[in-house]
Amino acid sequence: MTSTETSPPREDTRPEAARGGPSGPPRQRKYSASERKLRRTGWLMVTPSLLHIGLWTAIPVIATFALGFTDYNVFSPPRWIGLDNYVEIVQDPVFLKATWNTISYTFWTVPVSMMLAMIIAVALNQGLKLQKWYRTAFFLPQVTATVAIAMVWLWIFNPQQGLLNAFLAIFGIPGQAWLADPDWALWAVILVGAWQGIGIKMLIYIAALQNVDESLYEAASMDGASSVRKFFAITVPMLKPATFFVLVISVINAFQVFDQIYVLTDGGPANATTMMTYEVYRSAFQEFRMGMASAQSVVLFIFLLVITLGGRRATREDH
Amino acid sequence: MALTTPRTTQNPPLAAVVGKTPPRQHRPNARSRNKVILNVALALGSLTMVIPFIWMIFTSVESPAELAQFPPTFFPQEWHWSNYSEALDAAPFDVYFRNSFIIATGHTLITLVLGSMAGYSLARIRFRGREIVFISLVAMLMIPTYTKIVPQFLIVKFMPLFGGNDILGQGGTGWLNTWWALLIPGGLSATSIFLFRQFYLSLPKELEEAARLDGLSEFRIFAQIYTPLIKPAIATVGLLTFQESWNNFLWPLLVTTSDELRVIQVGLAVFQQLDNTSWHYLMAGTTLATVPMVLLFVFAQKYFIQGFTNAGIK
Amino acid sequence: MMIRNSPTRVRVGAISAVAALALGLSACGSESDSSAATTSDPDEVTGDITLLTPIFEGTEGQKLLEDELLPQFYEEYPNVSVSVDYTTYGNLNEKLTTAAVSGAVPDVMLMGVGWIEGFADRGLIADLSELGLTEEKLLESYTPAIVDAGTWNDGVYAVPIMLDTRFGVARMDLLEEAGYDSPPQNWDELVEMSKALTVRDSDGTLERAGFDMLSLDSRQAFETMLFSAGGDLFNEDDTAPTFNEDPGVDALQLMSDLINVHEVEEIGFSSPDAAVNPLLNGRAAMGIAHNNLWTQGLEAAPEVLDDLEPFVIQGEGEGMFFGGTLATRSATSQSPEAAQAFLEFLASPGPALAANEQRGNVPALSELLDSEYVQSNGFVQFAMENLDVAKREGGPAEWLEVRGDFAPAVEATLLDQMSAEDSLNDLAGLVQTAIDR
Repeated sequence: MTSTETSPPREDTRPEAARGGPSGPPRQRKYSASERKLRRTGWLMVTPSLLHIGLWTAIPVIATFALGFTDYNVFSPPRWIGLDNYVEIVQDPVFLKATWNTISYTFWTVPVSMMLAMIIAVALNQGLKLQKWYRTAFFLPQVTATVAIAMVWLWIFNPQQGLLNAFLAIFGIPGQAWLADPDWALWAVILVGAWQGIGIKMLIYIAALQNVDESLYEAASMDGASSVRKFFAITVPMLKPATFFVLVISVINAFQVFDQIYVLTDGGPANATTMMTYEVYRSAFQEFRMGMASAQSVVLFIFLLVITLGGRRATREDH
Repeated sequence: MALTTPRTTQNPPLAAVVGKTPPRQHRPNARSRNKVILNVALALGSLTMVIPFIWMIFTSVESPAELAQFPPTFFPQEWHWSNYSEALDAAPFDVYFRNSFIIATGHTLITLVLGSMAGYSLARIRFRGREIVFISLVAMLMIPTYTKIVPQFLIVKFMPLFGGNDILGQGGTGWLNTWWALLIPGGLSATSIFLFRQFYLSLPKELEEAARLDGLSEFRIFAQIYTPLIKPAIATVGLLTFQESWNNFLWPLLVTTSDELRVIQVGLAVFQQLDNTSWHYLMAGTTLATVPMVLLFVFAQKYFIQGFTNAGIK
Repeated sequence: MMIRNSPTRVRVGAISAVAALALGLSACGSESDSSAATTSDPDEVTGDITLLTPIFEGTEGQKLLEDELLPQFYEEYPNVSVSVDYTTYGNLNEKLTTAAVSGAVPDVMLMGVGWIEGFADRGLIADLSELGLTEEKLLESYTPAIVDAGTWNDGVYAVPIMLDTRFGVARMDLLEEAGYDSPPQNWDELVEMSKALTVRDSDGTLERAGFDMLSLDSRQAFETMLFSAGGDLFNEDDTAPTFNEDPGVDALQLMSDLINVHEVEEIGFSSPDAAVNPLLNGRAAMGIAHNNLWTQGLEAAPEVLDDLEPFVIQGEGEGMFFGGTLATRSATSQSPEAAQAFLEFLASPGPALAANEQRGNVPALSELLDSEYVQSNGFVQFAMENLDVAKREGGPAEWLEVRGDFAPAVEATLLDQMSAEDSLNDLAGLVQTAIDR
C-alpha cells in the first residue's frame, strides 16, 4: 500500500480515466498504466480480507459442499455416498416442512421489518426532541438477551393469562394457545422475528440517511414536492445501497433463524415451527450426521443464492 | 488539503428538509399535530421494544418465590439487589468480562481496518474480478454457522507450527486454548465488508475525481477523503461487530479448555442447567452483561448523526 | 481440501491407535488382572489427563471439584495431574463432536445416559472392564438397570455418578380438598382423580390442571407413561423398536385422552420453558416431574414441600424414568490407568455424594441411600428407594440419532392430529431405518 501512497499517478489521473465509481464509463486503453495501478491497489486493499475469509470461511464452505456427498458420523472417516443425502432430503417430510416454514418466515418477517425500520429511521432523523431516546429504545431488543426476550414473549403468548389474549378479549376476539397451536405457532414466531429485526435495520438506515445529499431535497422543495413525494422520489432511491444490504442480509439471516426457535418453541409443536437451520443443527450435533447436515446446508445455500442473485438482478443495485 | 473538505451539503439532516421544510408549505398547527401523532406512534413502538429489557431488570431483582407466582408479577414486590452479588459469585465473572472485552475490541479493530479497506476497494475501484469477489463474499454467509464450525475448529487445531504442531499441523494442539483462536477466526465477517461497500457506494464520485486531479494516491483518497465521510457507517459496523462478538458463546466454548480463556456468555450458561434455570441469577448476570452494550450504543449515537452536526455548523 | 483430508487422516490414525490399544490391553489384561487401576500401586500410576465435564460448572462446582475432590485424588495418586474443561449439557454434544473429529479427545468424559451406546459402538470410549471395572463388580454397588446404562456388547463403558429421575408428584393439600387421601394407584384412578382435580373458571379457562404432563420434555413424559404401561422402548437386543406395541399405544392414547377427552390439561398450559413448574404455584394438582422440583420448591415455595407427594405412576408396569451422568474413558487416552483411576474416584461414594448434593440429584450408588443428603431431600430419597423399578431411555447405538424425532410424534397425537397408533408406527419406521442404516 505504501507504493500507491508515495507515488500519486499525477498525469494520468484525469477524471474520465480514473473514474472508479461504480457507474463510471468504460475506460480508454491509453490510460492503462494508471488503470493497472488502480487495479493493483484495488486488489491490495481487498487481499487481507480475502485471505482471512478464504481461510476461515471459504475452506469450511468448500468442506461443507464436499461432506454433503458423504456419510460422516464424526467418529469414523467420511464415506462417499454420492447423492444419497440429497435423495433422503427430498423424501424427508420434516425437512420439507422446515423448508416451507423457513420460506414463510422469511417472506413475512423481512419485508415487514424492513418497511417499519425504514419509516422509523426517517422519523427518527427529523430532529425530534426525544429521538435519542427512541433510537436507544428501538435498538434495545438487539442487545437484550434472547432468553429474556423469549420469556417475555412466552408470557405475552400465554393462553390463560397472556397479554395478547387479554388484549384481544377487549374486542371480543377469542384467545389462542399461540405457541402451542400448530396453526398459530409459526405466526407467533414470525411476529417475534419481525419485531426483533427492526432495531438493527433501523440503525443501518439511520446511518445511511446521513449520506443523502441535502441539495436534492432543496431542489425538490423548490419544485413544491410534498414530504411523501420526497420520501419516495429521493429518500427511497438514495437508500438503495443500504436497502440492498439490508435485504440480502435479512434474507440470509431469516433463512438461518435458529436462536429464536430454540428458545421459543424448539421447533414444535409437532414440527410446526421447525426451520432449515434447526434441522441442520439437529443433524450435526444431536444426531452426529455431519454429512447430512452439510447436504442440508447446501440446499439452504442454493435457496439463498438463487434468491440473492434474483434479487440483485431485480434491484440492479449497482449495474 | 482543500480537497478533503467535504461539501457542506454532504451529510444533511434529511429531516431538515422533509420535516422542517419551509413553514409556508404547512400550516403550523397541522405540523405540530403531525408531530404529536409521530411522537405517540414512536413512543408506543418504543414501549414494546423496552418492555423485555425492563422485564429483564425487574426479574433480576425478584426472589424465586415471587417468580413462582401466577400470574407473573411485572413490577417486583421486593427488590433483592443481592441477586447481583450472588450471581457474580457463581462464576469467575471478572476474568470472563475482561476476556470478552479484549475479544470484542480485537474483533472490532480488525473488522474496521480490514473491512473498510475491502469495502472501499469493492465499491470504488474497478478491478478485474471485483464482481466475483463480491458475490463470493456474500455467498460465504449462506452456509449456516453450525456447519462451518467443525471445519473451522479443525483449522484451529491443525494450525501449522503452533501449539506443538509440525509444519503439517500434526502432533500438537495448534491454536486450541490460545488467544489466537479467540481473536483471529472471528475477527472479520463478510457482512461488515458488505456493509462498508454499500456505504462507500453511496458517496458521490466527484470527490475522488477532484482528489485524483490533485494527485492524491488511491489509498489517501480512501483514508483521508472517503472514510471520514462514512463515520456513521464506521460507528454502525463497529457497534454491531462489538456486540456480536460480546454475545459470542459457542466458539469460545469450543476452542478453549481453560477457564482463564472463557467469556461472559459461557459464565451465564451456568445459570441454565439441564431441566433447571435460575431465572433471577440469569437475569442479573444478563443485565450486567447487557449494560456495557447499552452504554456503548448511547456513546456511539453521536457518531450516527455525525453528518448532522457537520452540516449544522457550516 | 485440507479440511476433507485432515479428519480422514486423523481418524484413520486414531482408529489404528484404538485397535493397537485394544490389542495391547487385552494382551496384558489377562496376564495382569490384578494390576488393574483399582488395585495397583497408586504411586506407579502417572500421567497428565484431561476431564470434560457438563457438571461441576460454575464457582460452586469448581470449588467442590478443584478445592475438595482433586486434592483428595492427588493424595492417593500423587503422580497424576488433571486439567478440567467445563461445559454444560446444552453444549456437550458440540464439545464431543469437535473432540472426536479432531482427535483431541479428553481422557475422561462425563456424559449422559443414552450417549454411551453410540460412543462405545463407534470406538470413542474404552471398555472399562479391561482395567478391572467389570460388570459383576458394578452390580455389587448399583441396580442392574443402572449398570446396564453403561454397558454395550458385554463391555462396561461407563460408570454412573448421578441420576435424574421423573415420576408422579401430587399436591396432597389439593387432593385432600377433593377428598382423596393418597395418590392414584392405577390408571383408572389417575384419570378419575385428574378429572376431579381440574379447575376451570366460569368461562371455561383452565385454572388448574388435574394432571400436568407438559412441563416436561414430551419424549420423557411419553417414556414415563410407556414404562407405566409396562412397555419398553426397544426389544431385548436393541435391534427393533417396541414402543409402538400395545403398551406404547395405550400410554400415548392415555396422554392424548387426558388432554383431548378428559380435558385435565390443555396444550400450551405449561411447557419445559416455563419459568416455574405449575405444581409449585398450585396450577396443577398432579403431574409428572423431575426430582429437582424439590430443590426448586425449597427456593421458591418451601411451604408446599410438605404437600408434595411423589408416586410411581402405576399401570401394568411402573412409571418411573431415570437419566443420568456417567463417567467414561477415552479409547485413545495416553494414560489409561490414570484416567481410569480418576473416573473410579469420581464415581466413588464421597465424590459422587458431593456432586449429587451440589446439583440436587440422585446418587446412583445404592449405599448412599442412608446419607444425610439423601434423607434430607424427599424426592431424592423417594427416587433412590424406587430405583429398582426405574427404567431409562436409550438402547441401540443410534439412540442419539432418533431421540429428537420422539417429541414431534408425541405432540402430533397430543394435538389430536394423528392417532397414537399411527404416529408411533411412523416413528418406529424412522427409528428402524436409522438402526438399519
